[in-house]
Amino acid sequence: MRLWRILAAVAVQAALLMLKGASPAFLLALPLTPLALVVETKGDFETMASEMNRRGIKAHAPAAIIGKSGVKHEFAFALLPEPGRAKIVVDTELSVKEVDEMKVLKFYVKVFDVGPEKAVLCVSPKLGPRAATLAKEYGITVLEDEVPKRLIPMAEKVVNEFVGLGAK
Amino acid sequence: MKEGKKKIFPVHYAPGKKLFHVVVTLSDAPGSYSSILDLVRTKVNLIGTTTYTRSDGTAVFSGFSEALSPRLTGRELEKLIMSSKAAISAQVYEGKDGLLVDTFHTGFVVGDEEYILMRRDGLVHVFERVSNMLGSGGDSLLFEEGVAMGLRNAEMMSRAVGAEKVRAQTGVLNRFLAAQGWGVLHAKEGPGKGAFTVRVDDCFECSSGGSSRRGCNFMRGYLVGGAKATFGVDYDSKETKCVLKGADGCEFQLKPS
Repeated sequence: MRLWRILAAVAVQAALLMLKGASPAFLLALPLTPLALVVETKGDFETMASEMNRRGIKAHAPAAIIGKSGVKHEFAFALLPEPGRAKIVVDTELSVKEVDEMKVLKFYVKVFDVGPEKAVLCVSPKLGPRAATLAKEYGITVLEDEVPKRLIPMAEKVVNEFVGLGAK
Repeated sequence: MKEGKKKIFPVHYAPGKKLFHVVVTLSDAPGSYSSILDLVRTKVNLIGTTTYTRSDGTAVFSGFSEALSPRLTGRELEKLIMSSKAAISAQVYEGKDGLLVDTFHTGFVVGDEEYILMRRDGLVHVFERVSNMLGSGGDSLLFEEGVAMGLRNAEMMSRAVGAEKVRAQTGVLNRFLAAQGWGVLHAKEGPGKGAFTVRVDDCFECSSGGSSRRGCNFMRGYLVGGAKATFGVDYDSKETKCVLKGADGCEFQLKPS
């Protein structure tokens, strides 16, 4: 069923873009683009964590943290000076349209259970108006960019500033 | 006799049958109930009945029944019941097209507390939806709600029967949860000092659904909240066995934080 949908998506996009004169080889990559972005972003957080560990700061990417409730939560990146005690947690929400308030709520309930000093949500392309209001209310730091890859240095800057490292 | 589920009758469906809901206010005196039963059994087959006393010294008999004769009317049944000296008032509600609904009662009272009745499966699917929408955060939210309800219920029980009695009769009070359909709890001490292990058979939280949930977080929270209110100690908890993970029952370990 999933394969059928991908093929259908390719076919529709191919038809539309061929009308505009795009290359068919380029078209085959289109349905895989969001997945590739997630994998790439994840990989960059791992690089960021390695760099911080090299500088003596205990960072994890991805980070599995057991909250006060005993439930295990996963974040894209976290600083954990002690096991189970998060200083900062970072998550990503990538979407083709504005990210809605449910994604903010989903992040917030994890944050509430883990209780870090700072919570950062990296969003691409951006939060919807209601989601933005909710994030502000919950004290979540939101980083937005239309290009997901640009979110990594933005997150790194926020994390570095928070732990007093300044720019790399 | 094997333990089992209590049948109650807020609704009954029996296609082709003439159904009546008989509600009688009677004097709360010995023999009143049996005198009403002796009268109605000649005209109806009782499917399910309940009786309870009221603070004004009267009692209520409520029964769902099938007419033995299709010609029997509610009015006739009322007149028959009122021929008993034990009856103070009688109301007979007739079903329609084989469907009978209790239109007399407006809820449930246990002790002094009002209760609502809800389908087990319906509540489980609410939990499932919370978990689906909010992921692992939904699980922790359910845990927190369980803690809050466990605390509140245990505090309510302490007010009703006394904190000392709640601590001394934990085993008996666990049967109160079983009677409400939450699951059959078996608690034992250990492992370790101040810790205990609770096995829950027929745990309501994992009795259906479960495609996306990772455990019985509400029940775990409820036990933590109940234990905290009862013993005045904070507990760490984990679910060591769960039906959702293929076990034949759920098991929770609680140890002082």
